[in-house]
Amino acid sequence: MFEGEHMAGTTDKQLIIDGKRTDGRTIDEIRPLRIEVGVISSADGSALVEWGGNKVLCGVYGPRECIPKHEASPYGALIKCRYSMSPFASLSEHGRSGPNRRSLEISKVIREVFENLIIAENFPKTQINIFIDVLQADGGTRVASITAASAALASAGIPMRDVVSAIATGKVDGQMVVDLGKDEDNFGQSDMPIALSHRKKDILLLQMDGLLTKEEILKALDMAEKSCEKVHEVQVAAVRKIYESAALSEQKISL
Amino acid sequence: MRKIVLPGEKISDEKRFIPYTFLEGNSVYAAVLGMLDEEGRYVPLESVYRPAAEDVVVGIITDSRHSGYDIDLNMPYPGFLSSRETRADFNVGDFVMGVVRVVDEVGNVDLSDVRRLPKGEIISFPSAKIPRLIGKKSSMINMIKEKTGSDVVVGKNGYVWISENDIPLVLRVINTIMQKAHMSGLTDEISKFLDEHKIDKNSVRIGNSIEFTIQK
Repeated sequence: MFEGEHMAGTTDKQLIIDGKRTDGRTIDEIRPLRIEVGVISSADGSALVEWGGNKVLCGVYGPRECIPKHEASPYGALIKCRYSMSPFASLSEHGRSGPNRRSLEISKVIREVFENLIIAENFPKTQINIFIDVLQADGGTRVASITAASAALASAGIPMRDVVSAIATGKVDGQMVVDLGKDEDNFGQSDMPIALSHRKKDILLLQMDGLLTKEEILKALDMAEKSCEKVHEVQVAAVRKIYESAALSEQKISL
Repeated sequence: MRKIVLPGEKISDEKRFIPYTFLEGNSVYAAVLGMLDEEGRYVPLESVYRPAAEDVVVGIITDSRHSGYDIDLNMPYPGFLSSRETRADFNVGDFVMGVVRVVDEVGNVDLSDVRRLPKGEIISFPSAKIPRLIGKKSSMINMIKEKTGSDVVVGKNGYVWISENDIPLVLRVINTIMQKAHMSGLTDEISKFLDEHKIDKNSVRIGNSIEFTIQK
């Protein structure tokens, strides 16, 4: 047993005091979010998300030749996603790095989010790769990954029906909160990551640990919708920034 | 004001066909990152090249077989030039230009009218920004050719071939167009830049900069 390896635990500590959480946020406040698009020059699209203590790097390649060839579909592009946690990314809560039960599950759910968005039928016999590396983890890496991948796919020019934003919701000290940090995730009563498409508000991901009542889930969905709006704004600003910075650059011609 | 739109943003309530969009209900939505101007015109800024018949493309021969040649066209799958379509002999690694003859339902591309390009360099350019590199009635590309003295062939697939004459200067210009493709007044800016950096016939160009001038 590693030190501090508690996926869900209990604590005597009070996590919410006078409506303020351990890091001073209110219950519907998200951690500072920064997104940078176009960080990997050789990738078709890329994004770096820094969300509270999380650092997530995403690179997108494709559509390109499908390997192995027998997996290729004549009906459209195959979407492949690989979520991976770096060995130095604060592992005590998550077991180990590399392919494991947890990272395979997250890879699968992220892939399914984008299978519902990407217009894949235009690119038969190809694959689209989404590579996500968590460089630093502090609770809510899967929602940070989805947020990064969405910005990276948009900047790669891969046709999509919508842009997706994601947020973790949960129950801490009996109250519904958004964007749970590591301690709230581990010692709270329940956590529920949600991914919502921006235009149609489709629920593309919804997982839950712990227990919630029907009313609490509805409350969480409502809170998630408002928070996803904030996340979406940051995503849009990040994608637009690459074009605006070209317009502002004093440097006339550069190589 | 021109606006950058993301996938899923509404472009028009009028039901009409616009490339790189999709229809839902009676509205048209952007499918890729693009630009929407005041008149509601939508121009994609990032996209993946989808071949169509009669496109002029630039490629590199990657394989030579009895039945024909495989040609790298900056796409997921190589294009194919049948031996029936050509009498010329190509070697692996040759730079070629050609015309897309037919594209089948799974995206296989057959080429025709393929001819070899002389020694030079091929660079890849985002295919969505190709119209900007060519310009209105080829204004941009003709100006680059004229002012640099280089020959340039722009393939719709995003490969651009540059003749050996002055590759670094053309590369600088093409890079600028890539970065500023969404801005107006680009042709004038490039024209001004090229006038400033016109090749002095007496100077020797090494790498990216003029290193010294030969005194006569």
